[in-house]
Amino acid sequence: MAPVSTHTPTLQKLLKSLRDQDLETSIEGLIFLLKRRQVRGDQCANATAHILLQVVAKSKWQSVDRLLELVTSAGSRLVQAAPHEPVIGNIVRRVLGLIRDEASEDRNADELSESVSDLQSLAPVAPPPTSAPARPGPTPITRSLTMPAAGLQVSKSMFNLLSVVDTLDSYSTGASTPVSLAQNNSVHALKSEIIDGIGEIIDEVNQADDQIAGFADIHIYPGDYILAVLPSPAVERYLIKAASRRRFTVLVASPHSQGSGAEQYSALRKKLTSAGVKMISLSTTGLMAYMPKVSKVIFGAKAVFQNGGMLVDSGCCLAARAAQEYSKPVIVLCGVYKFCPQDTATHISWTQLENPSSYVGYDDGETVDTIDIENTLAEYLPPEFVDVYVTNLGPQTQDHLGSIMADHYKPEEMSVQLGA
Amino acid sequence: MATEDNGAKGGAPAPQVQPPQKTAPVAASAPPATGEAGPDGPKLTPAQLKAKAKAEKAARRAQAKEVKAVVAAASPAPAGQDGKAAKGKGKQESGGLQPPNVKPSHRPSVSGRRPSFAAEKDARSFIPECFSHIPMAKRVQTSHAHKDVHPAVLAAGQQMATFAIKDSISRLEATLLAFKKVIESYDTPKDTSLSRHFVPHVLNPQIEYLTECRPMCFSMGNAIRLLKAQVNTFDINTPEDEAKEGLLESIDLFIRERINLAGYLIARNASQLVDEDDVVLTYGRHRLVEKTLLRAKENGKNFSVSIIDDPYDKGGLQLAEILQQAGIPISYSPNLGGLGTKVEEATTVLLGGEAIFASGFLQGAAGTADVAIAATKAGTKVIALCETINFDRERISLDALTYNEIDPERNSPESFRLLFDNTPVKYISGVITEFESGTGFSPAQAILAILRKQEDPIIA
Repeated sequence: MAPVSTHTPTLQKLLKSLRDQDLETSIEGLIFLLKRRQVRGDQCANATAHILLQVVAKSKWQSVDRLLELVTSAGSRLVQAAPHEPVIGNIVRRVLGLIRDEASEDRNADELSESVSDLQSLAPVAPPPTSAPARPGPTPITRSLTMPAAGLQVSKSMFNLLSVVDTLDSYSTGASTPVSLAQNNSVHALKSEIIDGIGEIIDEVNQADDQIAGFADIHIYPGDYILAVLPSPAVERYLIKAASRRRFTVLVASPHSQGSGAEQYSALRKKLTSAGVKMISLSTTGLMAYMPKVSKVIFGAKAVFQNGGMLVDSGCCLAARAAQEYSKPVIVLCGVYKFCPQDTATHISWTQLENPSSYVGYDDGETVDTIDIENTLAEYLPPEFVDVYVTNLGPQTQDHLGSIMADHYKPEEMSVQLGA
Repeated sequence: MATEDNGAKGGAPAPQVQPPQKTAPVAASAPPATGEAGPDGPKLTPAQLKAKAKAEKAARRAQAKEVKAVVAAASPAPAGQDGKAAKGKGKQESGGLQPPNVKPSHRPSVSGRRPSFAAEKDARSFIPECFSHIPMAKRVQTSHAHKDVHPAVLAAGQQMATFAIKDSISRLEATLLAFKKVIESYDTPKDTSLSRHFVPHVLNPQIEYLTECRPMCFSMGNAIRLLKAQVNTFDINTPEDEAKEGLLESIDLFIRERINLAGYLIARNASQLVDEDDVVLTYGRHRLVEKTLLRAKENGKNFSVSIIDDPYDKGGLQLAEILQQAGIPISYSPNLGGLGTKVEEATTVLLGGEAIFASGFLQGAAGTADVAIAATKAGTKVIALCETINFDRERISLDALTYNEIDPERNSPESFRLLFDNTPVKYISGVITEFESGTGFSPAQAILAILRKQEDPIIA
């Protein structure tokens, strides 16, 4: 399991080198980064999608079943590497769903090859592969694909023209002997469809923050005091976007840190100040004190579960609780790709601890030895604390989450067990 | 009280020029009259003459204000008004020159100087406008303090400004001990008596200085009110020695009863609420919680403690070490993260309070309210510990922004922090005070009701 190569591994380098590396090295490279938590949060989705794209492109498969198996196994390894990042599982499920979709469309194409192009032009519009209403039931795809290639070539929709297709041809498998030419072609075509689809998922992930920011001026009014708890890049973008239209005050709550308090948000401060929006830096401790002044609370979720509960940074729970006490609205930003189809077993299972050495140093040996120290990084926030989920598909309420989940995941994927 | 006054400062400094006079004129109205006759002529330089004219004017204005001042003095928190005096400007110093017939060491002090006014303004300039009504402690250089401030008070003030002494009871004790020194070194000037002269001319400058260093906490305000009431009980003809003796005794009694005994009783009452195998959760380090837990351990109870700390203060870590050495299993969390699950695991939440308002709201270190709310939502009982001297019978806070303080250490463009927050009454299952009503475990409102009726023992 030698990590990537001689250079220091980072996500950027890993993504750059994907083309030239063999698949196993790439997967191991990401697992390495995940385990070291060098890739975390929002980056996970992007990285996972890229790796799965490589799995589809580079590995040898002749049947959809085999491909599903390959993706599931690679996905499981990534999930296991970072069980605290549910987004990885989401992306794996999305890709599995995409493969099933494409495969069943191919079968349909087999039957009505004339209308393929029409069908295709409908399907891939929304970034998430919209669930076609009449799909065969669970476990439908068992036979290998044998169909004429002609109909399939058409199905490349215009939406995919710009996405990452180029990997396809160079890696087309099937050159090996026992496969018939027809089958080879159909696999080839299917692969290109799937790779296009993954490209769309990647686009969706990358654009989510911007699309969310597009809804900024709906919920932020002039004169507001917005409490932004541990602002994620999505929240920062949202605030900056709102700042271009409105005059308000942002209170940024960041955790206690040694040295200067809010250095990590100095870029945000600069941008907000230049837009004429005041920014006040607070700590995440004792947010109740400021709540009377606050008009809205906003933060990003790491994941949203089926019941509307969320995985959030621990400071956000405090803010949400305080906001509820004062009946202040709580706005959560989350791309649709963060919606997890799993149920939350118990909320404690999602509590993530972090190295507490920034609070209690290891030089304090006696204390470290005798006292249990827990530094909570992220925890589960029940749904009743949140008023609105702003997604890249627009603001949503808790009641509507179920149908969004259903749009993006089908029962087959929901039941997929990833990881141990 | 101090809180309120310092808050006003930001708004309108001009009208506050007068308040310092409001107590002075009562006793000092005679001195200006004789003083201006010029028995101390040699002392007067032309500049002083000018100052004298100014002072006369000031005195006239003060007379006009007196009616107002009397009304104000009748208002319930005299100590607070002294706090106001600290807001007077340096200009007032000219007034200080006018009554030269008084012993130099006991000139009617008119106001504390504001030498570091500019510096303070700078410090306050970082405060966001929406929080600009909230006062902040500041370091007053001892050389800039008013000359009448007693060295013991100077030292106490410095310790408070630097937060070397920070919790309300320690501050109260330091104040009272310093005042004892002030009383001991006090000599009543001729032609006046202790009951008339001591408070406006000796005690008030001390109070002003302390308030300037850091807004007074309610326990200090309460104690000072009681002390002044005690001074007023002395007849004009009471011999000085007797009066001083009486004051010193009552301060000693006060410290014994309201601080030491109260702490002991609260720990005893609260420790009875800790049961075998309990998980007690607390926030930060509070003297009463610490005493209670150690007491419960001495009683032979086996329980564990979950400490949630304020990362700025890290008092909880010290508490963790102390309790751990006493043999109590500790789980320590350096910040409020994971609060929801921790309060669920706990059986009791013990919180120490800095003060309790007339509305029953608990003022505690920032973060206390978060713990109380989370615990109540999780169905865990929340018990607040607070000495009755910290109860304020007049103030009602709407929320944590009514009475608060800004952390001077965390006041820069990059950070801002308030020291306290308020826990609404509905999130506190009960308050334990030194009163023995059953277990001493009653709602805050009930205790306030008793307090309102109760005569404070120190006056009697």
